[in-house]
Amino acid sequence: MMKNILTFALTGLLTVTISAQVQIDRTKAPTPGPAPKISIGKAEKFVLENGLKVIVVENHKIPKVSFQLTVDMDPVLEGNKVGYTDMAGELISAGTENMTKSQIDEEIDFIGASIQSYSNGMFASSLKKHQEKLLALMSDILLNPAFPQDELDKKKKQAISGIKSAKSNPNVIISRVGNVLRNGKEHPYGQLQTKAHVEAITIDDCKSFYKNYFRPNISYLVIVGDITAAEAKPLVENYFGKWEKGDVPQNEYEQPSADWNTRVAFVNKPGAVQSVINVTYPIDLKPGDQDELTAKVANAILGGGVFSGRLMQNLREDKAFTYGARSSIRSRKLVGSFNASASVRNEVTDSAITEFMYELNRMSSEKVTPEELSLVKNNMNGTFALSLENAQTIARFALNTERYNLPADYYETYLEKLAAITVEDIERVAKKYIRPENAIVLVVGNKEECAEKLTKFASNGKVEYYDYEANPIVLKPKVELPAGLTAEKVHEDYLFAITGESSMKNVQKKYKKFKSLTTVASASVEQMGQTFTIQMTSKAKSPNMSSIEIKVAEMGMVVEKAVYNNGKGISTNMQTGKKNLEGKDLAKQKEQSMLDKELKWKELGYAMDLISIEEINGKNAYKVQMTSKDGEVRNVYYDTESNLKVYASSKETGADGTENQVSQEFSDYKEVNGMKFPHKIAMVNGEQEMEFVVTKIEVNGKINAAEFKLD
Amino acid sequence: MNLSRFTLILTTFFGLSCFAQNKIEFTEYDLENGLHVILHEDHTTPIVTVSVMYHVGSKNENPDRTGFAHFFEHLLFEGSENIPRGKFSEYVENAGGVLNANTSNDRTFYFENLPSNMLETGLWLESERMLHAKVDIKGVETQREVVKEEKRQRIDNQPYGSIVTEIMKRAYTVHPYRWPVIGSMEHLNAAQEEDYIDFYKKYYVPNNAILSIAGDLDIEKTKALIEAYFGPIPRGTGDIPTVEDAEPPLTQEIRDTVYDNIQLPAVVQAYRIPPNGTDDYYAVSMLAQLMSQGESSRLQKKCVNETQSAMFVGAFPFGLEHSGVTLSFGICTNDTDPKDLENEINEEFEKLQLELISDKEFEKLKNQIENDFVSSNSSIMGIAESLADYEMYLGDANLINTEIDRYLSVSKEDIQKVASKYFVKDNRVVLYYLPIEESENGE
Repeated sequence: MMKNILTFALTGLLTVTISAQVQIDRTKAPTPGPAPKISIGKAEKFVLENGLKVIVVENHKIPKVSFQLTVDMDPVLEGNKVGYTDMAGELISAGTENMTKSQIDEEIDFIGASIQSYSNGMFASSLKKHQEKLLALMSDILLNPAFPQDELDKKKKQAISGIKSAKSNPNVIISRVGNVLRNGKEHPYGQLQTKAHVEAITIDDCKSFYKNYFRPNISYLVIVGDITAAEAKPLVENYFGKWEKGDVPQNEYEQPSADWNTRVAFVNKPGAVQSVINVTYPIDLKPGDQDELTAKVANAILGGGVFSGRLMQNLREDKAFTYGARSSIRSRKLVGSFNASASVRNEVTDSAITEFMYELNRMSSEKVTPEELSLVKNNMNGTFALSLENAQTIARFALNTERYNLPADYYETYLEKLAAITVEDIERVAKKYIRPENAIVLVVGNKEECAEKLTKFASNGKVEYYDYEANPIVLKPKVELPAGLTAEKVHEDYLFAITGESSMKNVQKKYKKFKSLTTVASASVEQMGQTFTIQMTSKAKSPNMSSIEIKVAEMGMVVEKAVYNNGKGISTNMQTGKKNLEGKDLAKQKEQSMLDKELKWKELGYAMDLISIEEINGKNAYKVQMTSKDGEVRNVYYDTESNLKVYASSKETGADGTENQVSQEFSDYKEVNGMKFPHKIAMVNGEQEMEFVVTKIEVNGKINAAEFKLD
Repeated sequence: MNLSRFTLILTTFFGLSCFAQNKIEFTEYDLENGLHVILHEDHTTPIVTVSVMYHVGSKNENPDRTGFAHFFEHLLFEGSENIPRGKFSEYVENAGGVLNANTSNDRTFYFENLPSNMLETGLWLESERMLHAKVDIKGVETQREVVKEEKRQRIDNQPYGSIVTEIMKRAYTVHPYRWPVIGSMEHLNAAQEEDYIDFYKKYYVPNNAILSIAGDLDIEKTKALIEAYFGPIPRGTGDIPTVEDAEPPLTQEIRDTVYDNIQLPAVVQAYRIPPNGTDDYYAVSMLAQLMSQGESSRLQKKCVNETQSAMFVGAFPFGLEHSGVTLSFGICTNDTDPKDLENEINEEFEKLQLELISDKEFEKLKNQIENDFVSSNSSIMGIAESLADYEMYLGDANLINTEIDRYLSVSKEDIQKVASKYFVKDNRVVLYYLPIEESENGE
């Protein structure tokens, strides 16, 4: 049928005449005209004496030309110098025997052109009228690279910074770690560059790589644009004819395979607000494999290009877990890969993975519907046509046909092959390549908030932890909660620890004598090279007065002040002005005036639950979850040995709706009037971090009631 | 071999007259309801782009409903009277097309790229969107969550992702450019049914839109189809409120520090600049190009290649409809003090105020502009969008062919002039982005 459409293209469209009064029925989609004829532009080929294969694709739409050189080498294993081939590739254009890097840069920019070199080739493009100049530069760069030491030093410095900056990007982390987990560090596709690797790279490594591998007899030059083959031939001979051929090393590798049952791997990124999820594993799929097209169709149904893909519809349009969920099936020279990924908010990480696994399982165990298949086929048909607008696509087809020994009519018959794919073909291929049972569920995210819930996806019930460079991290074995221990008991022990008492009766007695409290704490903040001191003064007078004031000491400027007095409160903020405290804010300030609030948590409407034992700064602590009557949750951690409160964290929503993790770390407990107080409090509020040191604590000192006046 | 000298002579010889150009032909007209139509015919490939640009962006939002324009873009894929929820994209994908949309401070742009026999489908979909879009509660709730995830993914969880937000809220005090396009999640939560209806009735009307179509089409047949699908859409009844370009100038430098989940410090500077399309804007744009386009550009050469204090550095003008900013942005290399990088960048800007640029550098700029200009019309999608952009912002779609003349009429003196006028201390916001903590994980 597809053949008919192709043959009778356009005839239908031409016979329809549309008058000025077109009748339409907008209640249903218009019937399309016959599909237009798709023709793939021609590519001309010739070979130079030195073995360089040249492909020319004409496109005269705009007066530009491009030259892409591909050196078709086997991937190189770089050992303890990962990244040296990339560096060598970049250095090729960083100076020749005739020109310094800065001269080359000037020359390229002067004609508005671009030339890049990389580990397996070069790309150059310019306006047609500058093509000779461009080729002269490209040829000098390719044939006479000088590999200057100082340029290598620069690249090394940048690479080290790059490694550092990669640590802040969850997408980079997940891709690096994913490569290692799929292929192993001893495979070219699993190599991961570290600082030590960069430092070990020498200029000789780069020179010998160039000398061994950059040879015309394994290379292709693809020329696209406003040029004919007849015009290109003498140019290429002139500029690349002198490139010397040579024997090139051939490298073979054992093919990685997914010889494991479903694993869960986690990379902790503290403070992350989203989990980046990637369900991934290696697949045996190389370019030109006869399953390749069918596998791509199967993937499109699952989560490929179309918005209507199952993952997108399920995780975004139905569940609203993510901005986008997609999958890919990639064929590559040594080994292919499957990836399904999304960025989702922390609290739905496990639910999102459940949906990923559900969709993968459904693909591999159930037939797809004919409608789904036809949608994807229609879409791929159309996008194939759209892609032909770009002459580089035609050039890529020609290059792939050569590189991967595809049948000469591989792309000409692409649409026929696509049309012939059946539901049964998809079923067979999905079973072969979509394998949730052999997948690695890799997550980069906030360990504290997400990691534990993921054990259920691992066939061995365990989460594997990795650092940013894919090294396994061994966590200390989890300590179980002692049987019978309750949150109330943990809290009591804490009260004993700070009061030095051993019965609740005595604790209460001690708190009764506690009438007022003044605390002054300060933190220094670096701002534009200047150090500022933030001073926080809080005062409380039992049972119903309290105030807090935050001041920048150097400027004597009060940033914020809040006062509570017998049921009413006000706050004054430098930016937003004065307002009455209401609702939760009022309740919080009220609690500040109750010096015995730690005893009265039940009356204040809190529920306490003992959750687990967690590590805080290398020491075990009981995690107690405190839930207020409004449902706000705060996690409080008590050291298992000293029983002191060492850490607390909660989530707060700012005025602009962004969620922040707010935490405090308490340390340096010292006794004041028979009670222990932490003298160091490190606070983190989203992106802000401040360490407060207590400079003064006064218990039962005299506080003038005027301090708490509401005006 | 002195290649540079040779080229200089050649270029001077040929002068400006031989700039490579393929003229983009187009037809434009208004429907009775005020919809402006632009058609470009090109049969090279059997494909067509159908696009609608609405003159509404984040600057048209109420200060207590920020993020609404972008949220609306999401909602308008939900469906219409005749298109059930979720089918909008399916129609396009079934037709073998691709679709998407984006929202800026100034406008919202929707497009479909389709095989050319599907032109009518594109017209149907876009006219449905303009005539009677339909959004149910489930749609609103889902898209609200999707937008929140988009914000987390693009801004909160992205190193340096908040730069534009942090800059704009300091660079503006009055003008709506002060809030980010993605807006406030609280505002989206607070939106009521009448907010949606008002916004749609006010801005999603034919007299506030441009229909731009390019590709394998027949002009007369297409005109008839457009009349059939878009003609019956009623003109908007109310006035379309305009926003005043009334931001007072900065009077002194604003400096601040932002702590972000990053590893390498960054220096961000924003200089306030005039609107897109003004004479000074073209000079500013060439200045930015001189600073950061290509390896031989001044900032690149100085900070990345010579002193190696930056991993990345660049200057980018935000050509907005009202007075915008040029953002200069540098990421420090390991162990570089941001102060040092900032000094280097400042020196380069100051140099432009003191010295005229050389003839050779000036020629380079022109050659780069010519190359960029030629390259920008390489796809019909790009052509459809450019035609609409020029018409909407500058009232002249033909600038797609002639804007290059505006660049080429900028002189070396003009560049020096705008350097002294805009790229000065009192006209900038400076932010240091610093790591929250020095994490040694995995080093």
